[in-house]
Amino acid sequence: MAKELTQKAAWDRVLAKLKRRSLWMLHYCTGCGAIELPPTMTARYDMERFGIMPMVTPRQADILLITGYLSVKTLKRVILVYEQMQAPKYMVGFGSCTINGGMYWDSYSTIKSLDQYLPVEMYLAGCMPRPEAIITGFNWLIDRVGAGEANSWRDYYENYEFYRKNQEELFGGPVQTYQDIPADGRKFGILEAQR
Amino acid sequence: MSVLSLIVWIIAYPLITFAIGVLLGGYERKFAARVERRIGPSWIQPFYDVVKLMTKKTNISHGYMHDVAILMLLGGTVLTLYFVPVPGFGYFAQYGDFLVISYLLLIPSLGMALGVGETANPNGSIGISRALQMLAGYEVPFILTFIGVAMKNQTTSMLDLIKIQQAGGIATWGLVAHPLLGVAALIALQGMLNEKPFEVIIAPHEIATGPMTEMAGKYLGIMFIQHLIAVPLELTLYINLFLGGAANWLEYIVKLFVLWTGLISVSMVFGRFRIDSAVKFMWKISLPLAALGVVGIMLNIA
Repeated sequence: MAKELTQKAAWDRVLAKLKRRSLWMLHYCTGCGAIELPPTMTARYDMERFGIMPMVTPRQADILLITGYLSVKTLKRVILVYEQMQAPKYMVGFGSCTINGGMYWDSYSTIKSLDQYLPVEMYLAGCMPRPEAIITGFNWLIDRVGAGEANSWRDYYENYEFYRKNQEELFGGPVQTYQDIPADGRKFGILEAQR
Repeated sequence: MSVLSLIVWIIAYPLITFAIGVLLGGYERKFAARVERRIGPSWIQPFYDVVKLMTKKTNISHGYMHDVAILMLLGGTVLTLYFVPVPGFGYFAQYGDFLVISYLLLIPSLGMALGVGETANPNGSIGISRALQMLAGYEVPFILTFIGVAMKNQTTSMLDLIKIQQAGGIATWGLVAHPLLGVAALIALQGMLNEKPFEVIIAPHEIATGPMTEMAGKYLGIMFIQHLIAVPLELTLYINLFLGGAANWLEYIVKLFVLWTGLISVSMVFGRFRIDSAVKFMWKISLPLAALGVVGIMLNIA
């Protein structure tokens, strides 16, 4: 049965249609995938026509783009960056390395699957994905945001213990972070709100 | 002016200015895109950005002063707006002249300084110190140009200035009648609007957007709204002083866009000054121009 269209639901639908036109992206460019981003942003492929713009601080960003492999050490930094971002936030794994380790599949120092440690909204497969693939992927993300289905960020509040356990297993001990995620979830009413 | 129409204006004036600001901001981004041979974002892209920011689910606050100062930032700008006359609305402008505006223009900067101070981010502190240094850079020539204009026209009221320029035609426009002052104020305006080459406060690649570094969600949204109101406000200030004001809204909008196009064209071809170079430029080029203009008016030359 279709969802009942209350006034709030209708309002949310209108807002989602407006919100999808503006997504700011923070790219965490430790991997080689960053080389495909300049052509995506500049005259040839022009990402800004979809309202996607690079931003420089995690506080302002909506998309966190992980371009390539993450070593165990850099993952700690990514967790700090991700927790500083304000919800709704979308993590995008870029390239094969974030999906299954890619060419670093047997490396002792890189993580193999990003979604074990942080919620990932979308993967862009390829080694590396070309600008066409990036644009296609971002258009898919824009459609999801417009339909109000891009909810992976809620997962971090709801299943925080799962992610925390995986992180601590990887790092071999407790990690110090500066954001109290469950308290934030309660404060901003994210845990109570239904999907 | 009746009470009802006054109330309507008080509510509608910031909203109209915001709408104009959205168009100006979208125009700037489209213009930049076309210069770089891109297609560019939508014409009302700043509106989408503001909606996105205001509907964020979590909004991190850094303390009480952070919350209050961000409202001071917006409130100061809207308050200044009421004293700037536009076609059809000059009610408050008859009680407050340019001197009031020059005082009120400081409130947003102070509000920003207080709010950003509480976020305790070093990039933010650098941004604020730069903002206040730039304020010292552009305020001095800008106030001096107005002293010149006031001496020439024997009035400090912006409404009277518009009347004089409207009655006398193009020959009495500030930019034509006393060009030195007009050019000096134009340079100061470029700094006031934080456009390149004076874009030292935001400087994304250098100090990570300066004052906005720790701002997120609604806080950043309010800063965006403030910026979108401040742009038409400061352009209107210049139009009223040097470009003959406007008789109707069509003329007003045309003048706004022509002036804005000129300023962002300059912005497109320049890099960014360092902060010391920017302040030096203001004090070495803009200030002597303004001073010469004032001397010219005193000696009845220009």
